[in-house]
Amino acid sequence: MQLITNSKGKNKTDILFDAVVYLVCLLIFLSIVYPLYFVIIASVSDSTLVSTGQVTIFPKNISFFGYSEIFKDARIWTGYSNTLLYTVLGTAVNLLFTLPAAYVLSRQEFRARRFLMLTFVITLFFNGGLIPTYLLMKDMHMTNTMWVFIIPFCVNVYNLIIARSFFENSIPRELFEAASMDGCTHFKFFLKVALPLSKAVVSVIGLYYLVAHWNDFFTGLIYIRSNNLQPLQIVLRDILLSNQVFSQGAGAGGSAGGYAQQYADQVKYGVIIVSTLPILIVYPFIQKYFDKGVMIGSVKG
Amino acid sequence: MKKLLTGMLALMLGAAALSGCSGGNNTNTDTDAAGGGDTGKKVKLTAIMTKHPLTQEFSKMQWLQEAEERAGVEIEWQEVTADWDQKKGTLLASGDIPDLIVGVNSITDADFSQFPGLFEDMTGLIKDYGPNVQAMFDAKPETKVIATQLDGKIYGLPKYQRFWPETTTRQFINQKWLDNLGLQMPTNWDELFDVLKAFKDEDANGNGDKNDEIPMDFAPTGTVAFGAFMPTVLMGSEGITLTDNSGLGYFVEDGKVKNFFTDERYKTLVAFLNKCFSAGLINPEVFTQDYTKYQSVARGNGETAAVGFTWGWEVTDRVGNTLAPQYASMSPLKVSADSTSKISWSYDYNSLNYGVNAVQMSAQSKHKEAAMKFINELYDPTVSMQVLFGSLGTNIGDNGDGSYSILPPADAAMDPGTWKWTSSWADNGAMYIADSLKLTLGTDMQSVGSQTEPLKAALDGINKDTDVLPSMFIKYSAADNNTMSLNNTGMMSLALSKWSQWITKGGIDAEWDDYVKNIGKTGVDKNIEIIQKYYDDYKKNQ
Amino acid sequence: MISKNLYEHPAQPRAHKKPTVLNTFKRDHQLWIMIFPAIVVIFIFNYIPMYGIQLAFRDYDFSKGLTGGAWRGLFYFRQFFDSYMFADLMKNTVAISLATVILSFPAPIILALLINQVRWKRAKKTLQTTVYLPHFISIVVMVGLLNVLLSPNSGVIGHILSSVGLGDVNLLGSTGTFVPVYVLSEIWQHCGWNSIIYLAALSTVDPQLYDSSKIDGASRWQTIKHVDIPALIPTIIILFVLSMGNVLSTGFEKVFLMQNALNLPVSEVIATYVYKIGIISNQFSYSAAIGLFNTVINFVFLYAMNMIARKSSDISLW
Repeated sequence: MQLITNSKGKNKTDILFDAVVYLVCLLIFLSIVYPLYFVIIASVSDSTLVSTGQVTIFPKNISFFGYSEIFKDARIWTGYSNTLLYTVLGTAVNLLFTLPAAYVLSRQEFRARRFLMLTFVITLFFNGGLIPTYLLMKDMHMTNTMWVFIIPFCVNVYNLIIARSFFENSIPRELFEAASMDGCTHFKFFLKVALPLSKAVVSVIGLYYLVAHWNDFFTGLIYIRSNNLQPLQIVLRDILLSNQVFSQGAGAGGSAGGYAQQYADQVKYGVIIVSTLPILIVYPFIQKYFDKGVMIGSVKG
Repeated sequence: MKKLLTGMLALMLGAAALSGCSGGNNTNTDTDAAGGGDTGKKVKLTAIMTKHPLTQEFSKMQWLQEAEERAGVEIEWQEVTADWDQKKGTLLASGDIPDLIVGVNSITDADFSQFPGLFEDMTGLIKDYGPNVQAMFDAKPETKVIATQLDGKIYGLPKYQRFWPETTTRQFINQKWLDNLGLQMPTNWDELFDVLKAFKDEDANGNGDKNDEIPMDFAPTGTVAFGAFMPTVLMGSEGITLTDNSGLGYFVEDGKVKNFFTDERYKTLVAFLNKCFSAGLINPEVFTQDYTKYQSVARGNGETAAVGFTWGWEVTDRVGNTLAPQYASMSPLKVSADSTSKISWSYDYNSLNYGVNAVQMSAQSKHKEAAMKFINELYDPTVSMQVLFGSLGTNIGDNGDGSYSILPPADAAMDPGTWKWTSSWADNGAMYIADSLKLTLGTDMQSVGSQTEPLKAALDGINKDTDVLPSMFIKYSAADNNTMSLNNTGMMSLALSKWSQWITKGGIDAEWDDYVKNIGKTGVDKNIEIIQKYYDDYKKNQ
Repeated sequence: MISKNLYEHPAQPRAHKKPTVLNTFKRDHQLWIMIFPAIVVIFIFNYIPMYGIQLAFRDYDFSKGLTGGAWRGLFYFRQFFDSYMFADLMKNTVAISLATVILSFPAPIILALLINQVRWKRAKKTLQTTVYLPHFISIVVMVGLLNVLLSPNSGVIGHILSSVGLGDVNLLGSTGTFVPVYVLSEIWQHCGWNSIIYLAALSTVDPQLYDSSKIDGASRWQTIKHVDIPALIPTIIILFVLSMGNVLSTGFEKVFLMQNALNLPVSEVIATYVYKIGIISNQFSYSAAIGLFNTVINFVFLYAMNMIARKSSDISLW
């Protein structure tokens, strides 16, 4: 559409520009797609052939041993449902705590803002270490409960900063002045004006939190004991590492070789697909919020 | 009331133990006796086991269910397969540990000294409730040495698995390639070089391609320490006896502790390997491939072998079932035809057959007697056998005459080694395989035995008294442990990078003196001094 | 300063004093309510455990509790500075993290601008979804992929390189290629994911600006320069300041897994060293001291960068 409306003179450089853009994009696309494709074919090919470089374009000696190995682990379904719960609930809590705080910190007139920002940023660097944190969780009776995934660290300072700087830059200062003349409070302004104008950043921050919950295995590793509370990533990591066992050399305690060797890497690659597929489905829903510009101008008018 | 109960429990345990001693097999009567007094109430325990990732869920292990039953306990297991070190740090530092922790070396001696009061000194409990453990200590006094810490207390119990060979590393050469090219099996480094050269230059595997042969391959070097299946075993040709692979370079010669990283004989070996590498006789990826690839490459392509000369645990494990018949195991080499040096090999018997801290108990446990009772079950010779190989009936057959034999895997496609790891706790478990136990091993262990034959002369020639570093039986103080681990980290970083650099690029002659000086700076002499002190103490008390 | 009364709740009486935290509290009480939960959470979970920092200055003594060990002052710091490895560790750590910060910082910006130029909707969507996928590959598998694809004997990329005459270089095992491989694979894996924030920023550009730029006869390139990039500047500055806080951080797992004996002279970094000294015995105090040293350096860099940013652009973290 735009191409047609352009005048002829500019068209030449613009066509050249477009050509370069598309060419570069194609190269980027290919360089990213091939290794991903490789992961897929490697997950169904004979691992010996994969690691000796005989699988390049088509899968060889196809078998689904890796996937059956992954799904025969009964824990994987508990893992899926736990992770789903932690992710949905956790992300909701994250946003509930982070967005209002980010809005407040974006207000120039908020006197404590610099002091609070600094105290928040300090936590990005300084921490007491794992042991005091663990003791704290234990004292709060959070270890081995689902809450340890949800409540602690529900404000990620990095995300807070990003959200704050978005609020700062995308919501014109005068907007609240005008609104407050009409008797609009901060609560109301935040809910009715600031949030709707910031769909893009809300979805980005939401995505960051969501993926962080989805990929989190450390919390499960340190704080969870019962198998029925473990998230998916712990289960998958266990399965994944079961094929790394040979790396120490079978001799450490007798031969544990040939049989599993052949399929070892299938599990490795299969795990990636099993864990990534669900999150892949979410992305398009979020993507659409920052696909097209939010019309700030129209609000202003 | 509580005292009365414990007293009764002790009595029953004594009775159970007595009947256990008289006839290891009629364990059923034990259960009845215990069950009767206990009025069927089981003691609930919590436990962590660091198991092999292949190992199946514990609820499916029949022998374990039976052992818990007999001990009158019900254990809630947490089965850990990955990232134990990370988990362990917080668990111990927060004091938040379960009644039992099982798994060889899952808790280290250093942990005991760093976390005093966390673990129970089991000395008294063993006397009262652990007759099987006591039996192990009596029959194999060295197991008590392994168990006893510097302060004389017993926090962790060892394992003894008896059947494993004297070395981890066996040496294989492709006999078919030798035959194809009309060559003799080499007996010294010079002949080895010529053979490897022929492997490279000719079409040794006969597939028409002269360039697809990898004459020599060895295991990935690692970045922390050397492992098994490394060419360091060739230093045996120069009279150095490695112990437990000597991953950090320490070895003993005539009662003196040394480190081979600054030894002239190490220099000779590296120079030889550099000569091989420069001639293209060593896999060019030998330092960058991971263990999976190391194993995969040796599996060749169908009937066509890819690797000529290599090291491994057992030949089918190393090259796969298809190619295994092409390979022969090879005796240790001399340096040259006229070399008079005594020939040795890596002596790993201790690390293969003993293990430290296979099971430990929390000092805060509310059911110490019950926990000890369960531990005692594990050390019952027939249970121990099942800890290692799997349940009677499915994994082990009872021959009826007091002897047993390992059954072949139920799934014909699976090798016996994998089956063992899948079925049971295997080598990670707490066990005592008594020397009196009559057990016929599976095919995998039998072939390990036969493939060790060519190394036998060298292994027999080792003076176990003055040339073996008995690391397994030595306990270091916390301070010495710290010093050594700091110094070793620096030393290994330098030594490993030089090792690989000299082999691939050469230059050892020019850099050697500087290198020896730098290794000295990392504190290796201090470490040798420490080890020597402990070694001498150990010898004195022996 | 904006006139105060605009911000006062109509029901509140006017304050006549200078605005301070205290007397603006009434005016801003709603703001305080909104930020209160975040303050509480950060105080409890981040500030309460901070007493653990003492460990860097004390011996670890289990029986006396975390803060009960003997006071050693700077002993553990000195132990690190005097260690045989110190110089190499610092050099390697800075080389890897600085290269990562400098090279991988602009990549997502360029990618976002590029994606923003694609007007064929389907292609844009596909590209966008594809580039963010590698982010989900775990480090273990990522390094596995590198090993397979870069292998000089059998890897696809290894083959491509040898076909253009670069086959002699073993990308996985030389001191010269470790940092490039590390950084490029970082970019490959995270560039798309990191571009999301910039794409979001671009989406807030007022469409009127594009229209007026078109009317002015600006070329596509000029539009990028005068409309898109200025729209990204605040985000770029904030993220750059934050990334400066990483000058002494390298991911542990990836470096450790990519390590081999050949690249050890350049791949031994602080994080892997701390891991290795702890293998035999937990070095709680020593590793806490090294960690604190790291943190302080990082924080100083961030602090300085933030000052520069505030002075020069009026955009800053605090």
